[in-house]
Amino acid sequence: MTRLGRIAKIWYNVFMIKLHSVSKIYPAETVAVRNLNLQIDAGEFVSIVGQSGTGKTTLIKLLIAEERPTRGKIEIGDWDITRIGSRDIPFLRRQIGIVFQDFKLLPKKTVYENTAFALEVAGESGRRIHAVVPQVLEIVGLHGKADRYPYQLSGGEQQRVAIARALVHRPKIIVADEPTGNLDSINTAEIVSILSKINEFGTTVLLVTHNREIVNHLRRRVVTLNNGEIINDDREGKYRL
Amino acid sequence: MYPIFRILKFTFQDIARNFSLSFMTVFILILMLLSVNTLWAVDVLTGEAVRVVKNQIDVSLYFIPEATPKEVDNIKTYIQMFPEVTEVTIRSKEEVLNSFESNYKLNKEVLAALAELGGNPFGPTMVVKTKEPKDYKKVIEALDVPEYAHLIEARSFDDHEEALDRFQNITNRVERVGWGLAVLFAFIAFLIIFNTIRVAIYTQRTEISIKRLVGASNWFIRGPYLLESIIFTTVSIIATIALVFLALRWIDPYLSVVFPDNFSLTNYYKSHILWLFGLQTLAVLILTVVSSCLAMRKQLKV
Repeated sequence: MTRLGRIAKIWYNVFMIKLHSVSKIYPAETVAVRNLNLQIDAGEFVSIVGQSGTGKTTLIKLLIAEERPTRGKIEIGDWDITRIGSRDIPFLRRQIGIVFQDFKLLPKKTVYENTAFALEVAGESGRRIHAVVPQVLEIVGLHGKADRYPYQLSGGEQQRVAIARALVHRPKIIVADEPTGNLDSINTAEIVSILSKINEFGTTVLLVTHNREIVNHLRRRVVTLNNGEIINDDREGKYRL
Repeated sequence: MYPIFRILKFTFQDIARNFSLSFMTVFILILMLLSVNTLWAVDVLTGEAVRVVKNQIDVSLYFIPEATPKEVDNIKTYIQMFPEVTEVTIRSKEEVLNSFESNYKLNKEVLAALAELGGNPFGPTMVVKTKEPKDYKKVIEALDVPEYAHLIEARSFDDHEEALDRFQNITNRVERVGWGLAVLFAFIAFLIIFNTIRVAIYTQRTEISIKRLVGASNWFIRGPYLLESIIFTTVSIIATIALVFLALRWIDPYLSVVFPDNFSLTNYYKSHILWLFGLQTLAVLILTVVSSCLAMRKQLKV
């Protein structure tokens, strides 16, 4: 199947994430995740919780093909990303919106340019970029700050830019790795609220966090990791650690 | 917008927003190119000096006063048959006498002695020039035959022989040292340019990793850096050409005092501009592009 064909299939198929007996072992036999079996349906909001060093970030890295599993298989839609070629990785990442704790914004680009960049790399037309970016900035509440650089924004605003960038190409999945880790309680509530809204529009949201209040407030599916293994998977769960 | 225009836009944005780093990279490239051009100019000047000195060396054959113009012409025809010989000039015995009298017109004692001898005591003179100083030996040996030897009273070459050997030795050594320096310089230039580009890319490693994480392809990331390499090369070459010609305008008047025939480095550079700067452009372009690719290879493994 051609690359375009695969992308088309991913866009139009149900976006289900499946992990089959996935393990990631780093050199010196350091086990990051062990024998993970997980299925996340399209449109779900899943919180992945666990203490530091339990394999949460490794799981995210495996999903965006930043790392490859030592054993097992990961499927997103019909795409087996365990065997993904390095040339196809950018295409995978354009289907998944990623939000990091440290925002990972391009410091020499404005809010508008940072958001537009995700569309530019995907080859979207200038006209579409000019139409979509202001809409997304409006959604995250940054409409009046499009020309500002990251260093001119607060932490909460920077995280909203990161969400706008993750959202702008209308991904089927959003992965948020400790998005509120560097934020105060007010900004934390706002970010979680934005993620919930995104989920209401049908986007699958994977929220990696160790913030008990957020998880308990959401009352959505909670997957708990400990020592690289899933110890709990509750449909409407709470923070149990 | 086509990807190429987008890459162009990012390239110019990167250059403008990292102006100090861009400026330093171009500055170092210009310094390297100026050093290369200095070495090149020294090589050209050494070559010109060697040519001038070689040009001033000749063999003078002094014939006996009794040698007839026909005999001298025969020898001239014979010598001209040698491919090494570039020029043969004959001065008749009358011209030699006139030249002598003109040289010593203020020395009455010499002129009185000449008058006492009566008539013209000089024979004709033949001045021979060859392509290379080492060829003079061959000419002298060719004339050392019974048929001509009795007509030649003296030869000036014997006085220059040792000096010529020494000069040849020095020019050979200068050439070897020049090549050694050129190789050393090229190596140093490579290291400096490679490290400058590597540092420039290393400072942007976080940006590169972010671009990868939002789905930029390797060529979309590499593109601006490769274009930057081309722009840096072009700007540094243009600036170097301007600086070199400015320097030559200042140096040329001094050179015209040292070298005869109105030798000018500006003229040399003008007549070799395509070759000289074409070669430098190609070398710098290869260096910067290869350095960029090598430096980025590590950053792109995200």
